[in-house]
Amino acid sequence: MLDEKTKAEAVRRISEVVGPEHVTVHETDRVLNAHDAWPLSEAKIRAGEILPLADMVVFPNSTEEVSEVLKIANDLRIPVVPVGGGAGTCGGTLPIYGGIQLDLKRMNRIIYIDDDSMTVRVQAGVVGIDLEEAVNKRGYTTGHTPTSLRASNVGGFIATRSGGSMSSLYGKIEDMTLGLQVVLADGSIVECKAVPRHSVGPDLKQLFIGSEGTLCVITEATLKLFPLPEERRFRTIAFRDVHTGLEAIRHIFHRGVFPSVVRLYDPEDAAMSFSTRFPIDEGNCVLLLAFDGTVEQVRLDEQMTVEICMGLDGKDLGQDPARYWWEHRYDMYYPTKFTTAGYSIGDTIDIVATYDRLERVYYAMKEAMEAEGAFVLSHFSHMYPNGGSIYMIFFTSQPDAESAWTTYRRIWDAGIKACLREGGTMSHQHGIGLTRSTYTADELGSSFEVLRRIKEVLDPNGILNPGKMGLGVRE
Amino acid sequence: MNADEMAEQVRMCAACPKMCRHICPTFFAWRSDSPTPHGRALLVHYDNLGVRPLDERAVEVLYQCLECSHCLTWCVPGIDIASIVEAVRERIVAEERAPPAIIKMAETIESCHNPYGEDHTHRNDWVTIEETDGQGIVYFTGCTAAYRETSILTSTTKTLTGLGYNVIVTPDEWCCGSPLFRTGFKELALSQARHNVNVLNSIEAEAIVVTCPGCYRVLTQDYPENGLQLNKPVLHLSQLLADRLDDLPKGVLHARFTYHDPCHLGRHSGVYEPPRQVITRLSADGLVEMQRNRDNAMCCGNGAGLRTLFPEKSREIGAERVRQAVETGADYLVTACPFCKNMLASQSDNSLNVIDLPELVQMATSGKSPNGSTD
Repeated sequence: MLDEKTKAEAVRRISEVVGPEHVTVHETDRVLNAHDAWPLSEAKIRAGEILPLADMVVFPNSTEEVSEVLKIANDLRIPVVPVGGGAGTCGGTLPIYGGIQLDLKRMNRIIYIDDDSMTVRVQAGVVGIDLEEAVNKRGYTTGHTPTSLRASNVGGFIATRSGGSMSSLYGKIEDMTLGLQVVLADGSIVECKAVPRHSVGPDLKQLFIGSEGTLCVITEATLKLFPLPEERRFRTIAFRDVHTGLEAIRHIFHRGVFPSVVRLYDPEDAAMSFSTRFPIDEGNCVLLLAFDGTVEQVRLDEQMTVEICMGLDGKDLGQDPARYWWEHRYDMYYPTKFTTAGYSIGDTIDIVATYDRLERVYYAMKEAMEAEGAFVLSHFSHMYPNGGSIYMIFFTSQPDAESAWTTYRRIWDAGIKACLREGGTMSHQHGIGLTRSTYTADELGSSFEVLRRIKEVLDPNGILNPGKMGLGVRE
Repeated sequence: MNADEMAEQVRMCAACPKMCRHICPTFFAWRSDSPTPHGRALLVHYDNLGVRPLDERAVEVLYQCLECSHCLTWCVPGIDIASIVEAVRERIVAEERAPPAIIKMAETIESCHNPYGEDHTHRNDWVTIEETDGQGIVYFTGCTAAYRETSILTSTTKTLTGLGYNVIVTPDEWCCGSPLFRTGFKELALSQARHNVNVLNSIEAEAIVVTCPGCYRVLTQDYPENGLQLNKPVLHLSQLLADRLDDLPKGVLHARFTYHDPCHLGRHSGVYEPPRQVITRLSADGLVEMQRNRDNAMCCGNGAGLRTLFPEKSREIGAERVRQAVETGADYLVTACPFCKNMLASQSDNSLNVIDLPELVQMATSGKSPNGSTD
């Protein structure tokens, strides 16, 4: 936390930039702005704990204001934690060293839609669903539909390299971001020009995408748009085991079919998510598929996919389970009496790997996490021709807060250790934040030193989101 | 909802990743996590646990709520933040910690029987109603139509008379109590309510009709929930008109219409279709819906004390709702609430006419645009 003199000077100078009504030091506002969607934060709130608080929350309205605020913070050596929707699941926006929470929600303008180039220029504080609805009216989709769409902002998407449920077809945010504007720790405004591809050295915008507020503050972006599909069809296939389900997915991609949704539920997750509504045989896996495109293309894609699946002894369950999932895909994000009772806590470890090791990673993680007393259920989603992601979902319920938080950490440690041992990568789309910050060096290996040096150059005073991503940990 | 149920609800809401925040009108106005459903729940949750008692800023945040219940539409677990906020406001009032402007409003209602500080004796003595030998019906005018949106009152009496009713407007009508119920002054609200129940029950008539959804909600829900029974049915005018569609002119209005659902009529009372049926009957070209309609309609910004405390933010919300209406290409934005009409009309320019349902009926029957009085 800041000393009173530094805090007073910061408030005075920042108020001159953004207006006094857009700086708050009131504890109530700091408490209400501290909240993210990290399951551990949510569990602690339920247990009556107060999350780490910033010294002040600042609401800029433009890139220039962000720049001026950063200059002041850099001058005074004050930590700055950028916040978008506060919907991150890894504690990335928690102000663990106090300082400024730089809340970008007022920067919520959709600047323009370019019909010729099929792009949209937006400020970082636009809520995902607001952007999607706005471009839908013009006949487009961003193709980016994470479960947090109603709560997360464009800046947060980019800062965490987020992915939506249709990433198999439309890609992740790093594929969708053509141009980027960021502000560095010293207040410099950096523009990475929007182009479809280029050959002008390394793609510097990719350095900032996924930097989680540790290298810059993202202020604007130019994103790709896609035409709204003429047709979207759903199909559901059951398989006897995970191995066969993954074989089917590989063959679908190798045949040249790119479904928009590809989700394979393991027997535990299939039982939990679908068996009470649909005729799923015990022990079976369930593959959910969606196809986007023209009527003719979708018909052809679906036909080829079903042929592949039937060739692997798949059982056709029709469109209903997949459509049901699509229509209720946000529901799992809501709290329930079950998930919020007592000291229960759950989380998702969203790892990613190539096909040659994906199944091995799955079994190793499951075994390691269950050994720590977790109930584990999983689905393979965000699948691609070369591999894909596994959602290792776990729950534990403990008699008191201390054992709940300790068990939670043990499960994480065991899961990540198994993942890295078997050649997986520890996150596909949720990011690092605090949850994974202690594993970053192991994950990145020799390249972690590159990241650390980049951090030193771009943020020599270590003001940007200290303690996240394993960078800038303060004593 | 008892204390345990409320504690469970705020505990769940406080731990939600804010799945309804994007449609909260006060989030729209402030763009901060404080005046949001989740923010309100978090304050109450910490207060329940004794971790952080409600401080002055927390009280302010709890009065930065329109109680529009839009969040409930988007809440899968069905957490009713509006009711929770209202219950906490009752406690704040009991502790004499309500914002001064809200206390002043309550005192004004107590002394004048309307929130505008107008002379009660002139509540409706200015209206002339043609007596008929038709079925007797009480028109409970409500304060806003009596003092601010007077053309709604006159249009309603003309409409009802035109349909053959013998319309009774009583000078003894007091504020229904809605602004008091919604801001935590329950006891004072009940004193207004008891008076109104005595007055209304003593009048011989077939039914009571209201044009204000705030009145409709308290007469049909808050009164009976508090043991106060009216001895005749209560109808919103839209419901009565929907039952008499055949007696309304068909397809005579040649303009484009859109409809704004008032929160107290729609989400709070489930009345969505009757106003639409009336508009569709009168219009030659039907009705064009706003993207956010029915239980997903945005609040007009004029409710639960927000306009009293934060008029600028209230107007920002109203202006956004008008923008949504303009987006439809409509010539007229029709609503069925004097409060909504007042706010939306104040934020509309000449490109969009804001009109209440009885005014629309009079436009159809008289062939003239209404000459409403708004302030």
